[in-house]
Amino acid sequence: MKSVVTTVIAAADAAGRFPSTSDLESVQGSIQRAAARMEAAEKLAANIDNVSKEAYDACIKKYGYLNNSGEANETQVKKDKCLRDIKHYMRLINYCLVVGGTGPLDEWGIAGGREVYRALDLPTAPYVEALRFARTRGCAPRDMSAQALVEYNALLDYTINSLS
Amino acid sequence: MLDAFSKAVVSADASTSCVSDLSGLKAYVASGNRRLDAVNAIASNACCMVSDAVAGMICENQGLIQAGGNCYPNRRMAACLRDAEIVLRYVTYALLAGDASVLDDRCLNGLKETYAALGVPTTSTVRAVQIMKAQAAAHIKDQPSESFAGAKLRKMGTIVTEDRCASLVAEASSYFDRVIAALS
Repeated sequence: MKSVVTTVIAAADAAGRFPSTSDLESVQGSIQRAAARMEAAEKLAANIDNVSKEAYDACIKKYGYLNNSGEANETQVKKDKCLRDIKHYMRLINYCLVVGGTGPLDEWGIAGGREVYRALDLPTAPYVEALRFARTRGCAPRDMSAQALVEYNALLDYTINSLS
Repeated sequence: MLDAFSKAVVSADASTSCVSDLSGLKAYVASGNRRLDAVNAIASNACCMVSDAVAGMICENQGLIQAGGNCYPNRRMAACLRDAEIVLRYVTYALLAGDASVLDDRCLNGLKETYAALGVPTTSTVRAVQIMKAQAAAHIKDQPSESFAGAKLRKMGTIVTEDRCASLVAEASSYFDRVIAALS
């Protein structure tokens, strides 16, 4: 799993040397931002059901045709799966906040995502809309601190970019 | 390779749940500078630690440097010093990551079998690792005393942390213990 610390260690190991001062500096840089990331991860983990449900509702509201017969949100089973997918992205964002990099999203969410959505004939626009809603829904002092919200929004932006 | 953070993520993913218990990771973040100082203390003194540990091992078992001993020609002694440095390096990586996976995967996996095939005596290796363990604890603790150093006592600045980084000393010791367990 790629993170700042593992990247630093892999580079030092490839050169066969002990961690140098500059290696320790880069870890220090990551640790400095970690407090905000931990806060965002904790808040997201505590509210992931509500956050996902609101995002799901928002995208179905915008793309109402998905409820029509033959579309992706037609039956209750499909509705549950749509909500599960949104929650899946939120969980990966929680992981990315913990790790401090986009490794979990890249490896478990984005890699192969395009092929899967094409094979299952799913539109990506509703996912983008759900994540965009979550992106605008977060509010600085109410939900989490400003710095934590910056970290959280950056990962939502990253996910949206990967889908568009 | 995992660190303390990705370890938490991988184990949460196994049950498809969020990482919600962040107390351990928050402790890692809070004591981040101490950890970096501990890594720096070992990395800066690595050469000295390695040569002292190997010299100590040989002092206790002179047979190693006599004909037929495993450190006898310079070539084998050099290999011994190199191996001790490699072990110490991976322990340092593990301490930096806060997780033993890098030590397990890249250093200890198959080490015992390799040493058995090469005829390296594990008791001597374990002794050198034990000496490095004591040295690492001393460097992280940084608490020189009259009784150990005598006239050579040299105080390095003032006390930074009251508990002398006890948790990091314990963590570093646990990685050395892992090496010892893997070899014996």
